[in-house]
Amino acid sequence: MAQDSVGLPSDFQFWMHKLSVWDQASTLETQQDTCLHLPQFQEFLRQLYEALKEMDSSAIIERFPTVGQLLAKTCWNPFILAYDESQKILIWCLCCLIKKDPQNSGESKLNSWTRGLLSHILSTFRFNIKEVDLFTQVLGYAPTDYYPGLLKNMVLSLVSELRQNHLNGFNTQRRMAPERVRSLSRVCVPLVTLPDFEPLVEALLTYHGHEPQEVLWPEFCDAVNEAFLLKKISLPASAILCLWLRHLPSLENTMLHLFEKLISSERNFLRRIECFMKDSLLLKFAFKTYFPYASPSLVMVLLQHPKDIPRGLWHQALKHISEMLKEVVEDQTHGSYGGPFESWFLFVHFGGWADMAAEQLLTSEAEAEAPEALLWLLAFSCGPGAGHQQRAQTMVEVKAVLRCLTKLLRSPALSARDLQAAAGEGGQGAPRPPACQQLIRRLVLSFLLRAPGGHAIAREVITLMAQTDAIMHEIIGFLDQTLYRWDHLCVEAPRSRKLARELLAELRGQA
Amino acid sequence: MEPLLQHLERFSEVLAVSRTTHVSTWDPVTVRRALQWARYLRHIHKRFGRHACISKALERRLQNQWKQQGDSGPAPAPGLANFQALGLCDQLLSLRLLANPALGDASFHYLLQQLFPGPGVPDAEEESLQGSLARLARRRAAIHMLRFNAYGENPVLQEDSLMKTQAELLLRRLQEVGEAEAGGPGRLLSSLWERSPQNNFLKVVAAALLLPPSSPRHQEEELKLGSPKTPGEEGQELLRWLLGKSDVMVAFCRSLPAGLLTLVAGRHPELSRVYLGLLTDWGRQLHYSLQKGLWIGTESQDVPWEELLSRFQSLCQAPPPLKDEVFTALKSCKAQDGDFEVPGLSIWTDLLLSLGSSA
Repeated sequence: MAQDSVGLPSDFQFWMHKLSVWDQASTLETQQDTCLHLPQFQEFLRQLYEALKEMDSSAIIERFPTVGQLLAKTCWNPFILAYDESQKILIWCLCCLIKKDPQNSGESKLNSWTRGLLSHILSTFRFNIKEVDLFTQVLGYAPTDYYPGLLKNMVLSLVSELRQNHLNGFNTQRRMAPERVRSLSRVCVPLVTLPDFEPLVEALLTYHGHEPQEVLWPEFCDAVNEAFLLKKISLPASAILCLWLRHLPSLENTMLHLFEKLISSERNFLRRIECFMKDSLLLKFAFKTYFPYASPSLVMVLLQHPKDIPRGLWHQALKHISEMLKEVVEDQTHGSYGGPFESWFLFVHFGGWADMAAEQLLTSEAEAEAPEALLWLLAFSCGPGAGHQQRAQTMVEVKAVLRCLTKLLRSPALSARDLQAAAGEGGQGAPRPPACQQLIRRLVLSFLLRAPGGHAIAREVITLMAQTDAIMHEIIGFLDQTLYRWDHLCVEAPRSRKLARELLAELRGQA
Repeated sequence: MEPLLQHLERFSEVLAVSRTTHVSTWDPVTVRRALQWARYLRHIHKRFGRHACISKALERRLQNQWKQQGDSGPAPAPGLANFQALGLCDQLLSLRLLANPALGDASFHYLLQQLFPGPGVPDAEEESLQGSLARLARRRAAIHMLRFNAYGENPVLQEDSLMKTQAELLLRRLQEVGEAEAGGPGRLLSSLWERSPQNNFLKVVAAALLLPPSSPRHQEEELKLGSPKTPGEEGQELLRWLLGKSDVMVAFCRSLPAGLLTLVAGRHPELSRVYLGLLTDWGRQLHYSLQKGLWIGTESQDVPWEELLSRFQSLCQAPPPLKDEVFTALKSCKAQDGDFEVPGLSIWTDLLLSLGSSA
């Protein structure tokens, strides 16, 4: 196309300069810069090809005397070769340089030089480990036979290293250093649309370490989002949601993309609009509140659906959350996280973790002493702004209540008075702060729903507890939430559920 | 059927020639014919992949060819080793021709026109040779990027991707050779031992012996067509060969790290027996020096005390039954020597003492 090739010479100079600076893209800066320019460079290659294919190779050398240099530099930049269709377009350009019948030694030399480059892109492969090259050679395999398999193994190995962090929270030996994770995400920028890389992309998106800052390279997130919108990558919904939570611009772009589609598509086709909406996953996302300022690793952990965690590991998960929150709350240097309140808000709105902690404490009869981490979580949930002293006091009180409740569980006959005593009501000692009292009420109610003798005394206990209308509303709310949570987690507890449902119905009728 | 089989044979020859300087005599017409044949065979693969009788017949013919080449040892680059390879035969031919400097300029030019027609190619990306070659180039770049930017050698040898890949290739080749004829795998392995870097070979053997038994060694698109051998038999073949070759076995047990050997021994009881035997032999070579207060050897190739100890230590940390076997062996050796409790008289006593209370 005539008009394109007009701008080509100046573009040519620009890209020649860039390629010289980038060289083999082995430093952080050159990699960064290359990644930023990948789409534009591909476009340039396309235009170059369109120009080259109209000419024979002598004309090409006349018009673009340094084209060989430019193409060679491109061949040596793996980031470019790895991106989208750039390697294909590059091959097309090189093909244009090959002369069918070279007339002199100069032309022959150019031919064999070009053929060398083509070989380099397609088949020459040096892992730089002589033994491996030799072994495979003796075995009879050419590199092209085995690099799909090798790539798969490399991806698998990296994925398992990334997942190590996830499962073994504090197993420092196998942890991948954050700098390496970052580097990996940078390397993946041109490769997100290669199907072999999907497991690695997914593992990176769902990776959460213990660093307060985001480890993933922002261009990586952009590239994934772009690929996802253009349907060039298929990832599970959970990975995409992680992407949007970690990287706000991705979410913004997705919404813009959606709006564009909605506006441009014919408004009468409601079904199509519905499909777009469903496809976009934004509906799922709307149910989770978005916190741009929260620590990414905390968000990742809280985002896990309790249902996805095996029951036996709930305790561990809670302990982990407790430790993370403690770090955020008690460490003053992480001021950018909006202080304890932000973290508290997150904690309270995701997954019902506080209620789970309470249930764990009530059911862990095997432990002689209630685990500190879970107590801390409960104390935090009812008083995020509390000081260290106050929280410690709350933990002590909760521990005492739990001890009483555990004792009561073993007693043959349960009475409402016993429970009231256990809850510390009846004016013994100094009055507790209201939030702490509320927490204790919830513990007692939880206990009531699960204890064998609870059914008989439930109504009496509630009457004793509900001294005010506000408290009655609170109890109703608690029963409602508990049932909702049990439904979501598919908790099997037919007797407890029946009791909760009955109580809820009765109390609602009365209120 | 017969024309098809002849076709297959002729193409195999063409494929073998494509790597040699003989292609200098190929003109564009020859190139075209070769590509056409490849395309045809690929089409056959696609159409008859699920027809056991046809694919089996083809495979048998390929294996016959293997047998003929068998005398010269495992031929380098056999090309079409089995039916699955037909699915990629056009790619294989193309890559060989592209890399062959002996191919004339005019023929090369023609080849490029066929392989890379440019944009606006009507067939779907996955089907076209252009697409698959571009993808190969992309994958090559991907490996390069991973290797030089974010990759670390996995300290756990059998999980290292290079080792794993070599191990998978080895087992794959063993299977291909084994299907062609009975003595094939053994000959191949002996040849490898002689011709490839030995240290690397031993590590690959260890990695292969540690591969999970049901590891998928083929790509998803390939079809397993009722091969008579069961998966995992190649591992057995490998083990058999290793145990039958005492010089290789000695090198295997001496040069590989203790931890790795323990894992292999744990997986393969027959090997653990031989390994223990070797260790006890080596132990018997050492004698106690009163001057130095150490167990030392007389020959340069004797295994030093420290190494012996570290190997036993590793074995003693293995799960039972291996751990128990090792202790039993040590105790029995100690008893044979006279069951001394004092150090310096029997190496087995001293080893057990050093191994500590885990006895």
